Order: sequence, then C-alpha cells, then structure tokens
Amino acid sequence: MSRAFVLLAIAVLSGRLCAQVSPITPEARGVRIIEGPKMELAKGYLTIISWTTNNPGGSPVHYGVVHYGTDPHSLTETAKSPIRLNPDHSSTVFRVRLDNLKPQTTYYYTVDSIQANGKSDGIKGTVNHFTTP
Amino acid sequence: MRQTRLIALAVASVTIVIAVSISTHIVSGQSERSAAASAPVYNPYPLGILPADLSSETARVQREVDMIEARALARWKTLGHPTLAGQPPILQNTGTEAIETLGELMLYDNKISPGQNLACASCHMPYAGFSGPTPSVNLTMVAFPGTVHFRAGKRTPQRHPYAPFFPVLQYNQVQGLFFGGNFWDSRATGYKLRVPDAEQAQGPPVDTQEMGFPDTACIAFRLSQAVYRPLFEQVWGEGSFDIKFPGETERICATPAGAAMFAGSTTPVPLSAADRTRANIVYDRWAQSIDSFEQSVQVSAFSSKFDAFLAGKYTLTPDEMAGFKLFNGKGNCNSCHLDGRGTTLKSDQADTSAAAMVNPLFTCFGSANEGVPLNPGDAFYYQTKPDSYGFIANPYGFGYRDLGLGSFLRSAFGSGPNPNVNWKQYAPTVDGQMQVSSVRDVASTPPQCPTTEAPGPYFQKAFFHNGYFKSLKQVVHFYNTRDKYAYPVTSGHCPKGKTEKVDCWPMPEVRNNIDMTSGNLGLTDEEENQIVAFLETLSDGFTRPYLNSDTYTGACMKGGSAATQGNEHLIPTPSLPPCVSAICGVAPVPSPSIP
Repeated sequence: MSRAFVLLAIAVLSGRLCAQVSPITPEARGVRIIEGPKMELAKGYLTIISWTTNNPGGSPVHYGVVHYGTDPHSLTETAKSPIRLNPDHSSTVFRVRLDNLKPQTTYYYTVDSIQANGKSDGIKGTVNHFTTP
Repeated sequence: MRQTRLIALAVASVTIVIAVSISTHIVSGQSERSAAASAPVYNPYPLGILPADLSSETARVQREVDMIEARALARWKTLGHPTLAGQPPILQNTGTEAIETLGELMLYDNKISPGQNLACASCHMPYAGFSGPTPSVNLTMVAFPGTVHFRAGKRTPQRHPYAPFFPVLQYNQVQGLFFGGNFWDSRATGYKLRVPDAEQAQGPPVDTQEMGFPDTACIAFRLSQAVYRPLFEQVWGEGSFDIKFPGETERICATPAGAAMFAGSTTPVPLSAADRTRANIVYDRWAQSIDSFEQSVQVSAFSSKFDAFLAGKYTLTPDEMAGFKLFNGKGNCNSCHLDGRGTTLKSDQADTSAAAMVNPLFTCFGSANEGVPLNPGDAFYYQTKPDSYGFIANPYGFGYRDLGLGSFLRSAFGSGPNPNVNWKQYAPTVDGQMQVSSVRDVASTPPQCPTTEAPGPYFQKAFFHNGYFKSLKQVVHFYNTRDKYAYPVTSGHCPKGKTEKVDCWPMPEVRNNIDMTSGNLGLTDEEENQIVAFLETLSDGFTRPYLNSDTYTGACMKGGSAATQGNEHLIPTPSLPPCVSAICGVAPVPSPSIP
C-alpha cells in the first residue's frame, strides 16, 4: 500500500502522469434524439444539419453522420463531422457539414452518430428533407 | 541577517562580473560573427509583411535574452558544491537545480545559432508565456525571423510551459485518436528520448529558418566553448566533449543550414564515427537539460489565480466565475481543454465519479482542426526565391497548405519524418489537425502591459498555429460564430458591409475533419468577454513571481477594440493555386481532396 502511494506520488510530482487524456465514459443505455434534426445553416456552399441527443458516452470523439441524396429512397451520399463529448454534459449536440450542395434542390437525409471505432449509437432516425437556397 | 546580506552582495557581484564578461564576449564576438549575421538581408516580402521596426525589435529581444542569461549564470555560481554519490552517479542535493539551471543557460544562449544572434528564447520569452516576444511580428508576419535576417518559420512559436507533460505520441486504438507529442503537428513524438518536449528542443537549432545550424554537431561544438561547459560536465560527466572537431568546424557552423555549399548534407562537419556518436549524445543531453528547465516550477509554475482558486486562496470575481461556468457549460471549452472537473455523467449515465484532477493542464493532449482561415500575413508564403545562400524555404508559395498532423503522418513537405509506418494510414482522418495546447498562460503578458486585449495598454500576441487571431476576444468569438458568419471567401475579401472577424469568417484553410463541437455556440457578447476574463486567470505569476517575466523593455499598445484588433493589417489573400502534390499528393491522399 505504502509502495503504491510512493509510486503514485512520484508519478504526480514527476509530471508524467497521463491522467488528462480524455476519458472513455460509460455508454448510455439508449441514445435518443431530444431535438431536431434540423437544417441549422444553409448558405449555398455550406449546409449544416444538427440535432441533440442525450449524452451517448463511449469514445471522447464521436462523429455525427448524415446520409443524404435527392431521392428519398436512395441516400447515396454520406457526410460526417467529429465532435467532442463533454462528460459533464447531459446532452450532446451533433453538427454535420455538407459542402457544396446544388442550389435550389431538395435533399432527403437521415442522421446517425458513431463512436471513433465506427460503432453506431443506434439512433433510428426518419427520413427528413430540406431545400437549399 | 548579516549572512543574508553577504550572500546577496556576493550574488550581485557575481552578476555584475558575469554581465560585464558577457558584454565583453559579445563585443569581441561580433567581429567574428559569421556570414549568417553579415549576409545581405533577405527580403522577398511584399509591403506589409515585415514590420518597420523588425531590426530594432530583434535587437531588443537579443538584449533581453542576454540579460536573462546573465542572471542564470549568476545563479549557477551560487549552486552548492557538487557531490557525486552512488552508482549511477547522482549529484547529491544539487542535481535537480544543476540540470534545470543548465537547461536555462542553454535556452537563453544566443550563441546557439550560426550568427550567434538567436537563442531558443528569442521566440519564447517568459513575459509572453514563452510565446513570441515581438508585438509587431505577432501583428504582421507571425512567423519569427531566424538567424538569417530575414528567413522566417511557418507558424507561431508555441508556448512551452506545460509542454513537458505531454506524453509520447501514441495512437489509441480504442479511442481512435492520437495523443501526445510536441509541436503544433506533434512531430516531436518522443519515440527515442521518451519525452516529446526534449525531442522538441532538438528541432529549432537545426531548422533552416530558425536557429539554423547545418549540423547537430555544431550544438556540441558551441556548447564545448560555452562558459557554462563546466556545469554541463558536472551534470552529464567529464569527457562529454572529448570530440576531435576539425579546424573547419567554426566556419561550417557559422554558415546557416540549407546553404547550397552543403549540397543537402545534414552532417557537413567531418567527424569520425565515434566522435559523431559522442556529438549525438551531447545533443540528447542538450534536449534533456532543456526539458528539465521547462518542466521545472520556474516555467511550468502552476502559480495562477486559478491555482489559488483551486487551493481556496482566491475568490474568482463574478465575471471570472461566470466565464469559468461558460468554459465548462455553454462554451463547451473543457471538452478538449480539460479543467480537472469530475467526470460525472448525468441523465441516464451510470458513472458517478466526481474525482477532480490535481493541477489541471487544460488540454486533452489531442489535436483538432478548428477550421481556421488561411493567414496570408504568414511570412512563409513569400519565401519562394533563393536567399544569398541559395536556400529557398518554400518553393510552393501559396500552393502550401498546412495539414498539421496529417502532413507529419505522411512525412510530407513542411513537417518531419514519421517514425511509425502504422500511423500513416490515419493521415486522412487528421488532416488540418493541430495540437490542442494548454490554455494556461495564453493570456500572459509583461506586467506593464497587463492584457492581450485592446484598448489596453496591451501586449500584442498572435493566437493559434498561424496567428490569424490577434486577441482572445477574437478567438472566443470565432468558436462562438465560425459557422454563423461563414463566408466562401479568403481573408481580406469579406463582402462589403461585413467586418472580418466580427460578422464575417473566411473559409477554413483545411475543410476536412473540422471539429463541430463549436462554431455556433449562442454566446452573447458579454459571455464571450466573461470567458476571456476566465482565461486571464490562468496566467502564471499570481501566487508567486514568474521568473524573468520582468524583462520586457519594449512598448505597450493602446486604443482600438479587441474585436477588430489588428484588422488594419489585414491583406487580401491572393488567388490560391491548388495544394501542391508534395503535400496533398502524398499517399494516403486527403479525402475529400483539398482545393
């Protein structure tokens, strides 16, 4: 016990303790969308789709994923953007950038979120749509 | 009491003697200063890149560096008598202070450059939190001039307090993330010395645009001539400098790296294999000594208002406390700049941990692409013509793109060799990412210029890797509104009626892997200011004086507003050619491609 304490003290005082690497937090029992998804921004060259879930836990970096296309039955395009989970927050906002969409075009999309290793958070979203300016 | 006075008198006397001896040495040294110092000034820059006071400001910093070196030499002389004990031998009682003092002497040694005109500290002074010490450079060219006037680097000088705490660069398979390393692009991995901060210290002395030695053996050569050589031998062993340097070593080491006469050789000093090994060992010792100083409480001090607050010895003002809460809450800053709070999850999470970390470092040791616009003020873009040595820093001009960690993993132009082939595959997932620096000391300034923010009196700094931001207000406003005020333009081309950095943010330099945690936070103007107020509580020197932060002899700036600070120096970005193949064409190539 005392040896462990000494080793810990040395580690702290020597400054090499890697305690601040972002923690992997326990995964939520279920991840659900609290708000959205919505078109947060549409500027022609840049569209942002965002939504809020309860904090999914897991890897500190998550990716918001948007599957989209102009045919609601064939969402062939995928965009994903990273966000950092904040372990202290009860909810998490996902925001995904879609670059250079066609103007005045209606797009259909679904959303998902995944951990850094690609594991899905299991959101079962419906097909939504938006029209670019 | 009398004894204290005698010691003080002795220290003062030693300081004066050493200061005089240094001045004498500098004066006599000037006559033999190298070609690097006397070469024609290299100026490929258009109007507005080099500040008008660059020469006088460079000389000012050089004087300040010499002043601190004199103080360190005086302290060395007050160290106790060395006693070696044990095996391996330990400098009993004096070892820690000896190696830290040695590192300090090295850090402030102007002779560790071909022109004997540039030290590590020339770009990292304590009064600026060990970031760039020249306000006009921070305002304009961003990258600091090197031993050859005026070659310049490519990024802002990164603050090095707390850098020693970064772990060896690693790829965490579970988290799918890189952690650790030093430098903005993490290229000082620590793979060999096992301390990234030490390997970082081995970069600038042989960087063509910084201290610029043509050969690492030149550092051993100059150290062998240093007045503090006895301290080096005391710490690292007698015989450390038993190296037969040939007669032409001085001439070679007085010529900057990249000179055509070296024909690309990185070992122009002809040494035997055994002497080459000894010189390499000296260079490792150089690195370890500097790391010791940088990790010491003199540099990584944990002496801020916030540390006092954690210890229950300071009450945050209402604005500082509000800023702290925003930092953790609406601002979401502590998702990466970890602040030591507990990791309790809410809602239906199971973990109930509330343990706080000791001495939070305000970094996650990771990297991120925040989507910072390309800064056309960066001097690197203009160094497309050969200098008088035949060296060209950036043959690609504006075809250069700073992919940060991505370029390092590919060993591409603008970074260093990657020692781990297994990392290379991840390059497309980290393009554009730069190291998440500790926020500690981001707001540090000289005492007479108490803030980084206009109207001041303020000390002009430059923030992020390319110095695009000139105030902390702008940094926080960018996190808050990057996406809300996004325009498909480059810097200097915001639409009429819009003000860059206020209600217009140019497009990112690298659009891949942009972190979307922030960009539209919904903070009010007052809340932004409160976060800045909190950041200012993280400057060292509150609970006790910060070593050598009193050495700034330049001027403070006044007037204007933090929101538009430096906007008078904005220049229009030229039409950008595509990213060159030496960067974006190296496999595995960026996906999607970078324009």
